[in-house]
Amino acid sequence: MTSQEPGNEPVPAEPPPEVSGRRGRGVDPSGLPPDAAHRLAELEHGLFTSDLSVNEFLLVKEVGFHPLGFVMGSSIYHLGIQTRRWSQSQELTKLTEAMYNARELAMNRMEEEALELGADGVVGVRLDVNYYEWGSDTAEFIALGTAVKAENGQSYRNKAGKPFTSDLSGQDFWTLMQTGHVPLGLVMGTCVYHIAHRSIGQTLRAVGQNVELPNFTQALYEARELAMTRMQDEATELEATGIVGVRLEEKSHMWGAHTIEFLSLGTAVAKTADHKIPQPNAIISLDG
Amino acid sequence: MSADELLAGMAALSGDAPAKSRGVTSDLTIDETLLLHGMGWEPVDVVFGVSWWSIPYGFWQWQAGELTEASTAFAGAMETATAELRDECARAGGTGVVGVSVEFAVHSRHVDVALAGTAVRRIDEKPTDRKARQNAAFVSDLSARDFVLLTRAGWEPLSLVAGASFVVAPRRSAGQWAAQKTQYVELPNLTQSLYLARERAMERMQSAALQARADGVVEVKLREGPLGNVGRTGVRVMQFIAVGTAVRLGSDGHHSIAPVMVVSLDDALRQFEATSLRQPG
Amino acid sequence: MAADVAPTDGGSAGLPEAAQRRLGHGPWSSSLSVADFASCVALGIEPVGFVQGYAVVTWRYVSGYAGRPVGYRTFTGYPNLGDTGDYMEQWRCPHGFVGGEHRMFGYNFEQVWVEQAWRQGYGLAFGRMLEEAVGLGAHGVIGLVDDMTPLAGTGAEEFSIRGTAVVVPGAKPPPRPFTTFLAGQRLVKLLEAGFMPVSVVAVCSAVQMWGYCMTAYQMVGSAASWSGGVAGVTSIDQVDRAQRAVRELAREHARAELGGDTLHGVSLQVSEREIGEADLSLQCVLKGTRVRRFKDFDPLPPPTPVVRLT
Repeated sequence: MTSQEPGNEPVPAEPPPEVSGRRGRGVDPSGLPPDAAHRLAELEHGLFTSDLSVNEFLLVKEVGFHPLGFVMGSSIYHLGIQTRRWSQSQELTKLTEAMYNARELAMNRMEEEALELGADGVVGVRLDVNYYEWGSDTAEFIALGTAVKAENGQSYRNKAGKPFTSDLSGQDFWTLMQTGHVPLGLVMGTCVYHIAHRSIGQTLRAVGQNVELPNFTQALYEARELAMTRMQDEATELEATGIVGVRLEEKSHMWGAHTIEFLSLGTAVAKTADHKIPQPNAIISLDG
Repeated sequence: MSADELLAGMAALSGDAPAKSRGVTSDLTIDETLLLHGMGWEPVDVVFGVSWWSIPYGFWQWQAGELTEASTAFAGAMETATAELRDECARAGGTGVVGVSVEFAVHSRHVDVALAGTAVRRIDEKPTDRKARQNAAFVSDLSARDFVLLTRAGWEPLSLVAGASFVVAPRRSAGQWAAQKTQYVELPNLTQSLYLARERAMERMQSAALQARADGVVEVKLREGPLGNVGRTGVRVMQFIAVGTAVRLGSDGHHSIAPVMVVSLDDALRQFEATSLRQPG
Repeated sequence: MAADVAPTDGGSAGLPEAAQRRLGHGPWSSSLSVADFASCVALGIEPVGFVQGYAVVTWRYVSGYAGRPVGYRTFTGYPNLGDTGDYMEQWRCPHGFVGGEHRMFGYNFEQVWVEQAWRQGYGLAFGRMLEEAVGLGAHGVIGLVDDMTPLAGTGAEEFSIRGTAVVVPGAKPPPRPFTTFLAGQRLVKLLEAGFMPVSVVAVCSAVQMWGYCMTAYQMVGSAASWSGGVAGVTSIDQVDRAQRAVRELAREHARAELGGDTLHGVSLQVSEREIGEADLSLQCVLKGTRVRRFKDFDPLPPPTPVVRLT
């Protein structure tokens, strides 16, 4: 299903690049600076902080967890220029690595803070990217969440001995635990793909009717699959039963419309018990 | 509601108010009023606290690194405004203030904080007990609904707590810039300075909570970003402000709220949408 | 006052002829949503018509002493502040004679003329709406929506108020139709809880702050060497007092209209305008529904917390 027009060569089938793995392999998080250590020490003396709403706070307590503290990690990354062949649709592997590493650094630092507090996990994780007017090619990657600990003393740390992370809200965390599953970790896969724009022009000129553009279908398809596969690989490493709440985000960040990052995020879970959820009540709300 | 009751309501319009009270004012909605009433509380008065603190002239131009006077101004304004709110609450005869709206802004010459909420009290509390407690009136930006939920679970709100930190983002040298141009690399100085500023803001908020002898802080909101209107061009000031409500566990400990799972039958038949997998960036 | 206006209670010179025709006959119209209409019907209240009132008012400085407008700022002498109402505070420079433009005196005072003009505008619009309602034989007006919009380029403001006039079958008409911003479920809950809406309350308070030298240094920070010890970070006392005063005045004006009833669902809006280096003009508008308890109400049992699966 490939056409042989110049500039429309099929996307090369190379193996996915080596992207540094998580769970302590390959990425070296820098140690916590003294001010952060001081704030965490205060938290260890019994004060907790959390950005959970009151609803989420009460539901987290309901499941038998107690919030320990608000934890965060960040990394300001410079994203330079990767030379690329403009006429070819391909993955920009260096950019993929960079986006992945930057988020990894932020997540690892957040996990470090959670470890410092003796947490079993972090809920409500938000991964944000901030751009500021200074530095057109710099971006700040931030990971924020609330570290929690099980009140019954049982450890919920994952296979790598680290606190679980999850982007589940308090409500979703409660609901998940009702089903007999526990979260293992936030898993992600990313792929930065460049779409060859010259070939778009050539192809469109040749088209006078409704027809699929197979190369582009293939390119975008491939990019999404790469992202999701990498995410699933992370889940396999954690020995998860499944992944919930998967979402696929597509952003051009500041690279222009022809370069898109496909980011796939979800929470890996494992089954712990054969839970029978009580039959939920059906309601109809009469207002709005 | 029966027709007779409605007619009784209409009849009440001809005549004066049944009790000669001072005139209660409240910005609670009817839902919130009913929830509070169900717990034995009632609104007393809307109360306010406003404070402006000045920042010295030329302050933003000559600093580098952390800008401590700006955070002192913010802390001062928050404290003064909260204290004013507490005083008004005490004057009105309330036990605490709920649903406080917190508005603040940092300008080049001053920081201003404006708080407004409704003072509430326990209906059956004896005036002498209330007076004894008035120095400890709680202030919180929790809505009345969240206040009721938390109280039923055995927790009490203590105070609004906030912490701020302002930092000038360091620049890279020309050499560093050139060397990093084609690399994908972390910028450690910048990372460190912003990370520390965030931590400092959180830490100041925590200290305020510890001072209030709290067990924890909930509903922390972190506002951060560049402060565009101060200093000369080229000086990049970043602000980090954390605000939350300090809470304490009551002597009875935590009570489970035992929520019930419901399936709401409001939705029309839901079909699979490919775009539901994709969220806007 | 500036505009040529009839007394504030919405005199009969107000209603346009078209209003008479519309309200005379035909099916009633109403701005209630379907949900709110259904709540009305369930409660036993009948809508009788859509009512509205409008007034365009313009505010200007009024000429005062020696041909200068009231409120004209002087630096050295005691100015004519006009009627300062319930609030006036004065500050005096601690520096001794400095001369020139040094702000030797500072004042915070209530701007009665602003409040009166606002009350006039709102009162006219409100009165006209009420007149339409009375003409329909209404017992009350619910779901009120009010607005104040500037008319571009004219320096005038238009006050507008609209709502749905209703009757309660079998009730004796009250001395004045009751009015409220609420409608629908919220109104039903209010009534079930034992509160009867009496009338809408809307008040405006205005405070003018003329900063004295210390306030000016704190707000502008010029000539720090003259600051006389105001270097560094300090609270700006004069501004704090003006801000507090404008809110307290609004609350007290509102309380004066309650007659012992309760003011429910208060909304507050404060606007500030800097009109000089260290001069602030503050205005606060406070609105709510005056309600009266007509029956006792047992406290609701604790509601069940639920987690929705959709």
